[in-house]
Amino acid sequence: MDKIWLAIMLLSLIFLLFNSPETALTSMITASGSAVNLAVKLLAVYAVWLGLIEIVKRTELSRKLSSLLSPLIDLLFGKVDNKAKDYIAMNMSFNMLGVGNAATPTGIKAFNALQDGSDKATATMVMLLVINTTSIQLLPTTIIGMRVTAGSANATDIIMPSLIATIISTVVGVIFVKLIYRKRKLKKNKIKTK
Amino acid sequence: MQLSELIVPLLIIFLLVYGMVKKVNSYDCFVKGANQSIDLVVSIFPYLVAIFVAVELMKVSGLTALCTIILTPIFSILQIPPELSELILIRPFSGSGSLAVLENIYTNYGADSYIGRCASVIIGCSDSIFYIATIYLSQTKVKKLGFAIPIALVATLIGVVCACLLCKIM
Repeated sequence: MDKIWLAIMLLSLIFLLFNSPETALTSMITASGSAVNLAVKLLAVYAVWLGLIEIVKRTELSRKLSSLLSPLIDLLFGKVDNKAKDYIAMNMSFNMLGVGNAATPTGIKAFNALQDGSDKATATMVMLLVINTTSIQLLPTTIIGMRVTAGSANATDIIMPSLIATIISTVVGVIFVKLIYRKRKLKKNKIKTK
Repeated sequence: MQLSELIVPLLIIFLLVYGMVKKVNSYDCFVKGANQSIDLVVSIFPYLVAIFVAVELMKVSGLTALCTIILTPIFSILQIPPELSELILIRPFSGSGSLAVLENIYTNYGADSYIGRCASVIIGCSDSIFYIATIYLSQTKVKKLGFAIPIALVATLIGVVCACLLCKIM
């Protein structure tokens, strides 16, 4: 991540030297300003969602949800402790419902619960990241709304293809993670037995 | 009114009623939970700035435009229309940025055109990979992501190719 960031920054700034060097600083500050605006918006959204999520936790609905999704979570993530499992269950449910803003705080908390102090992502973390980044939305509500506004005659006809495409990308991602991390595990075990 | 609009309020009503049955003080919980949002936003804020600055510089410097030109022939091999290159390029970095590109596509080509429908499905089956990776890990010590980003990118690209194919037949 740090390398990608550095590469983008350097390349862009070198480009700007030839285009319009005077805009470099102003556009950086404008961007930082949009980040401030987003942060304020997120503060509002997360306050509401984290408030509700706390009730979900206290009523132990999150426990129920995670035992309901337990077979799926075990299959995808292997063994994880209960605290992380509750957050993963909530994160996946919010993602499927299309409320990404509620999925983010639960995802962050899941990573908190999963971390073991090392700087390397574990297979479980990689799996959670890939599932989140390949999007498992059941109903793309935002896009349907935008299509209606843009005057689409058939705003909802993208639901089926979206669903199929999102399932394909998520399944492909999951399979890749499983394949790559199983191979590594086998290698490690081989070295150990030697 | 759509069914999807009812889901969230119904879930919240269910949650509050369930809390009453379980004799949980929902008010206290809500306040306690809401309080955590300050810490959360404070911890993700610097990462937001870093991403936004990089994406903005990429845009104003013309790097995005250049990458679009480089990627277009590769996309055309994969049967992805060249009009969608910019969208696919922005998508992994910024959710709001890609929605702005989508809006443009709707205005230029129409929401019901092949390009417009492809763009909708692409947004529906993908997510802002770099943004999510940064924000989700913001409260951990993890720096090395292993294969997470390459896997996510490849899986998303396969999803995008399928999206364009599906829009042709559906």
